[in-house]
Amino acid sequence: MASVTGGALLLFFVSCACGILLSALVDQRHSGVVIGITGALASLFMMLASASVLVTGRSFEASLWVLQGFGPLTLRLDVLSSVFLLTAGIVYFSASLFVRNFIDDQFGASYPARYGVMYFALMASVALILLANDAPLFLISWECMSILCFLLINYEQRQQADKSAGYIMLAMSEAGFLAVVIAFLILGKTAVSFSFPALGMAASGLSNRGLWSVFLLGFLGFGVKAGLIPVNFWLPRSYTAAPSLFIPIFAGVTLNLGFYGILRLNADLVHGSYGTGVFALVVGSITALVGILYATTESDMKTMLAHSSIENAGIIVAGLGAFLIYRSSGHFVASAIALTAALYHMLNHSIYKTLLFQGTAYVEAETGTRDMDQLGGLFRLLPGLSAIFLVGCLAISAVPPFNGFVSEWMTLQALLRSAVLSSASIKIVFALCGAALALTAALAVTCFVKTYAMTFLGVRRGSWEPKLRTNAGTRFPLVFLAVVCLLLGILPTYVIPILNRAVEPLAEASATASLIPPFFTANSSNQELPSAFLQDFHNLGAQSASKVLPGRGLVILLRGSAENPVVFAMSPSYGLAALAIMLLTAWFVITRLTRQRATVRRELWAGGIPRLFPEMTYTATGFSNPVRVVFQAIFRPNITEDTRQTVAVHFRTAIRRRRDETHVIDRLFLRPVGGAMNGIARFLAGMHHGRLNAYVAYVLGFLLIILFLYRAS
Amino acid sequence: MAIASSPGERRAETDLKALSAAVAERFGTALSESSSDKGYVLSLSVNQPECLPSLCRFLFWDRGCSFGGIIAEEHPAHWQLYYPFLLASAGWIEVTLQLPIEVATVPSISSEVHAADWHEREVEDLFGLHFENHPRLGDFILPDQIWQEGINPMRKKFDANQPHFERQPDANWRPLLVVQDPGSFAMPVGPVYEGGIGESLHFLLETVGEDVIRASPRLFYKYRAVEKIAEGRSISDVLLLAERFAATSAFAHSLAFCRAVEKIYAVELPARAAHLRIALCELERLRHHAGAIAAICESTALAVSAAHAAISEEELLRASCVFTGHRYLFGLNVPGGLRRDVELNQCKNLLAAVDNAQAELRVLEDRLRYSSSFLDRLEDVGVIDGDQARDLNLVGPVGRASGLSCDFRKACPYSGYERYQFDVPYESEGDGYARLRVLFAESLQSVKLIHQAIESLEPGPLYVPCEGTTPGAALGWTEAPRGAALHWVSVDETGTVERYRAITPSFNNWLGFHIAAEDFAFQDFPIILATFGLSATECDR
Amino acid sequence: MSFWFLHGLRRGIQSTRYPRTLDSAPGVSPGHPINTEFSSSGDARDAAASCPVDAILADGRMAFVDDGLCIHCQRCRFGIRSPMNWELGYEWTELPPGRKDYETLPSAFSKSLHVMVVDAGDCGACLHEVKQLNNPLYNMHRLGYFFTATPRTADLLLVVGPVSENMRGPLLKTYEAMPDSKRVMAVGTCAITGGVFGRSFMCAGGVGSVLPVDLEVPGNPPPPLAVLHGLLVASGRKVVTIGELVSRRRS
Repeated sequence: MASVTGGALLLFFVSCACGILLSALVDQRHSGVVIGITGALASLFMMLASASVLVTGRSFEASLWVLQGFGPLTLRLDVLSSVFLLTAGIVYFSASLFVRNFIDDQFGASYPARYGVMYFALMASVALILLANDAPLFLISWECMSILCFLLINYEQRQQADKSAGYIMLAMSEAGFLAVVIAFLILGKTAVSFSFPALGMAASGLSNRGLWSVFLLGFLGFGVKAGLIPVNFWLPRSYTAAPSLFIPIFAGVTLNLGFYGILRLNADLVHGSYGTGVFALVVGSITALVGILYATTESDMKTMLAHSSIENAGIIVAGLGAFLIYRSSGHFVASAIALTAALYHMLNHSIYKTLLFQGTAYVEAETGTRDMDQLGGLFRLLPGLSAIFLVGCLAISAVPPFNGFVSEWMTLQALLRSAVLSSASIKIVFALCGAALALTAALAVTCFVKTYAMTFLGVRRGSWEPKLRTNAGTRFPLVFLAVVCLLLGILPTYVIPILNRAVEPLAEASATASLIPPFFTANSSNQELPSAFLQDFHNLGAQSASKVLPGRGLVILLRGSAENPVVFAMSPSYGLAALAIMLLTAWFVITRLTRQRATVRRELWAGGIPRLFPEMTYTATGFSNPVRVVFQAIFRPNITEDTRQTVAVHFRTAIRRRRDETHVIDRLFLRPVGGAMNGIARFLAGMHHGRLNAYVAYVLGFLLIILFLYRAS
Repeated sequence: MAIASSPGERRAETDLKALSAAVAERFGTALSESSSDKGYVLSLSVNQPECLPSLCRFLFWDRGCSFGGIIAEEHPAHWQLYYPFLLASAGWIEVTLQLPIEVATVPSISSEVHAADWHEREVEDLFGLHFENHPRLGDFILPDQIWQEGINPMRKKFDANQPHFERQPDANWRPLLVVQDPGSFAMPVGPVYEGGIGESLHFLLETVGEDVIRASPRLFYKYRAVEKIAEGRSISDVLLLAERFAATSAFAHSLAFCRAVEKIYAVELPARAAHLRIALCELERLRHHAGAIAAICESTALAVSAAHAAISEEELLRASCVFTGHRYLFGLNVPGGLRRDVELNQCKNLLAAVDNAQAELRVLEDRLRYSSSFLDRLEDVGVIDGDQARDLNLVGPVGRASGLSCDFRKACPYSGYERYQFDVPYESEGDGYARLRVLFAESLQSVKLIHQAIESLEPGPLYVPCEGTTPGAALGWTEAPRGAALHWVSVDETGTVERYRAITPSFNNWLGFHIAAEDFAFQDFPIILATFGLSATECDR
Repeated sequence: MSFWFLHGLRRGIQSTRYPRTLDSAPGVSPGHPINTEFSSSGDARDAAASCPVDAILADGRMAFVDDGLCIHCQRCRFGIRSPMNWELGYEWTELPPGRKDYETLPSAFSKSLHVMVVDAGDCGACLHEVKQLNNPLYNMHRLGYFFTATPRTADLLLVVGPVSENMRGPLLKTYEAMPDSKRVMAVGTCAITGGVFGRSFMCAGGVGSVLPVDLEVPGNPPPPLAVLHGLLVASGRKVVTIGELVSRRRS
């Protein structure tokens, strides 16, 4: 099987190279086809490579060449990285096909060839990051990825604001990169080489202080890409500025690389301590809550989805935090559940977010706007798109039977398992973080009810005209993603064992053992429930049949500890069946009951006014304003310039108010830090005013200080 | 008119002389002064139309006159516009402007006297006279979604008796939105809302969600063209219209109409009729205020208090029915007196009912004063300060809650109010609670007045014939339950009404509603509406 | 707030017993003129002449009253030598001219009727009297009658006012928005014939010229109990009495 993996990887890199060459050489009119077909092919190889590792559970390794001073460069595709590679493959597959349909809208007369070259280069560098088994290759690929991202964001360079967004992103990426380099250097100080196994061995000898510094540097450095508070202020800006074709890669691939980095460095190489886990849990919960709050009140679809990515990143990192806490306190099964939940959520988020971003690109191409205050009524114009978009909204709102529900349920269940922890204070932290995540989930529903309702339902509020020219075939990438959303939602029992292979080496325990009762996964001949389970059910006052329902492991069971024997169970697949039965029954009953009656359609009742105008219907801003009012303490809106134009004093002609809101991260982090940086820069600039005697004085002063220090030591 | 003798009246006379001299000095030949026989103390006719705004500003702002309204008349060869102003304690001053019929533009005074805003819009919509520099003309009484501009039903050539179906409404009409925040929208309310128990009118609540930034009313859904269909009818027929266009203040409006007619024919009213009219006026006010209090209680969802006030109101309706034969006091007033006399025991029953109502209202007021949840919802809600109230010339309990103590019963007494002992209660806060307090205080004063009126009833005639052959026009006024009502009647020699104009308190006060309804929580909207206690039918006519 | 509760309890039940027993408290109804036989045909003609809206028709010594036109101005009652007979009742609901019988709503509505009120240019009196039904003294909820805020749940459309031109559209829209098996009730003289406003460019002259009317409650305004009687008839709990003169109206 290793040969399959190796072959697939080889083919992947070959197709990337082909893509680069073809994009550069082929006439630009065919760029879309080149990117689409070659990209889809490359991503299929990507998926194949990772699938072969995931199915067999055996890692793939290959040594390249020896780099002087750093040791041999090696490639290694283990189960953990193949989970990420598979996710990237799915996203790339859909994104590549999507490019084919939209490249003309997006670029018009500009240069899609350049886009193609960078697209494939980025694809290869992403794969290299995941394959790297030593720090130098990892860091080089990481840097390539950052710069390519920047170039792709600034690709269009249409507006100054877009450019500045790209530069902010570049600056943050570089800062993060530096932090990561330092973290690796600290690790490498005692290591024999910079290969990951060597670094991992060196980490065990690290002091607590060293551990914390590696953790914080790595966490914040990778957190830049993952979109964690407080280093995520670049994210909404760049997402909004990025070309629509490219954002899925951003949200579905590079965001995950941040988690990959954190996981690789802080969970695999360094065994994160209890404290670091708490840190990650708290940061994750706050990130999730802040992200969803801003997403809910945003009315630009792209910016809203960007904030929502931050929210999901928070949920994933909260899961990681729980994983670290459980692992360091010896609850390995719980830690396995937490990590499974985090990985599952990462996978899910990549898929539905890609779906939603592509849907948004679709909407923008059709209407020319992505302002939800201007949209509305698309349901009648684009029923197919709105159905697919609805799947994305339901999935991201964690509504069964779609995938978001499974992973959020598991994340919350993992947090609830904090009952096993002994410390009371950590239980309180868990409770607060759980509450924050529950609130996040509720607000996410609000947010996507708003998004769907304001975009697709109601009446058209803007002055745009629908173009209605895309044919059904162009929707294939979206349909593909929607189907994946549904499959991941109803068949988690097939997904979790696969993820478990990645989790097991890290968590030192199997999640399936606890999550999916082994008898489901075991041979189907023995379909008897174990007596221990029956006893648990009985103790809880529940009755249970001793025979198991057919179907391989369609139920997720979560079993409490001996002193706290609570059993949680969920089966989205049976849930789907029940839902279908209920809907069909309801439909049947209603049609039977109303068989004799004719349906009469009447005009909308609007209080008897002659016509209901679009400006008389709810806007997205109006819908989410209650959230803004309730969380005023966080938003701190500054309503300025309340112009009340009047003629003849009493006669109002216009009321205009400008609402200035500074994002809470900008207010609490970016502005103080930026201000301090500017102050230092001004001070240094002031020192360099160019007079010779001043410089002589500096030299003298410096000499004196050194002498003094020398004497003191 | 009685000869001035008391010190107050002498002062009024000197005030008037000073005003007349000042006007003559400032405006010189632009004006000509004439004495009037229609009950005005001073009649100023404007020779140069461009002087009109400055004259109005002088009267309204420099001399503190109240603005009455605008009365437009179309004559065969000219337009005649009357602008009555009330100089407190002296009487009515009439400013008239005469324009040739072919002139279609009039200088607008609403930039000087803001209270004239809606009056000018009404004249523009109904007569087609254009007011220069008025910022928003058209789409007022005849909505452009139903009628096109250019239909001027008040013109003499317009046939009011035929349905007018040939209409091309404005297809490009859009709602006029004032709030221009990003994401703002307007919530339409009505015209059929509240289960229809509320009167038909339409609001646009402009908001960006949660709080309402501005509420603008759209009235005249109930416009029945009372002024137009009155033209050409006999006085007794128009009386039916005057009494039935706004039933909750029917007696006050029919009284104002009758007083205008009595003034045209110079009829001296018998004393018994005058006293009885005051008793009935105050009975109507008391009943109206009980109803208004019930509505305010209901708007705050304090059901028991609302039921309490509503029972009082129904008891007063029944007492009115027993006293006069009609629950809403229809069919009593006639020019020259009253149609029906009352007997002593009827009076006793009335006094008993009124005293009972007073006791009930006192209990209610005491209870409400200690209901903090109720007060929380009224205090600082729908505030109109004194300057705004004066600016918009608000009348009635709404104006008096904002510190305007103008009350026709004191400022220009009619029907013998000058001989009565009573106070005009007023407050200065201008919020919903101040308006409620004014309603309570006024109803107690009304009870006092009913007692005085019934006690001063002496046997005697109740009616003197009121007819004649002289053409003429006159202004009649009353303080209706909701505030100042002015009725202008012009008749020809056969006693046929040529022009009838009713200026109602609701029309005046609706103009000010949008000032009170800015920046409020959505759930306060019914409360603001209830504390204003305005009637759409009284405004629409 | 407990004192409001006690306050409510202390007042006891004040609601009328109607329709179980006839309520004859003074002032519940202003009454209306009824067909009168005079001693001479001159008196009948005088009575007819005193009516400003031609609601009284003199036929020999008889004077017939058309309830749908009468505006309760009382000119045939006071200030006239021989007044018309005046009846203090309130069970006035009748059928529109030309209608032979009232088809009651299905029996499901007899215990619960949801009423949509539309003010189509009413002077405020009829609307006020309709509103009084919510008053504890009448308390129509005890009979299962409710005012609804939306026509979607309404069974009966209660229209007051002569239908002003600007309200014609909203009234029609309200009727359209109501689900089927619906009835229309015109309350007040204005809603029946236009009353003093009659028919003009701004008034349709009654609901009948805009919508098919099923029941009429005459009066200017009809007192609350008359409206209640109309609701009882609409839901089939009282039977409508067909006046002999109804067919002669507005001919």
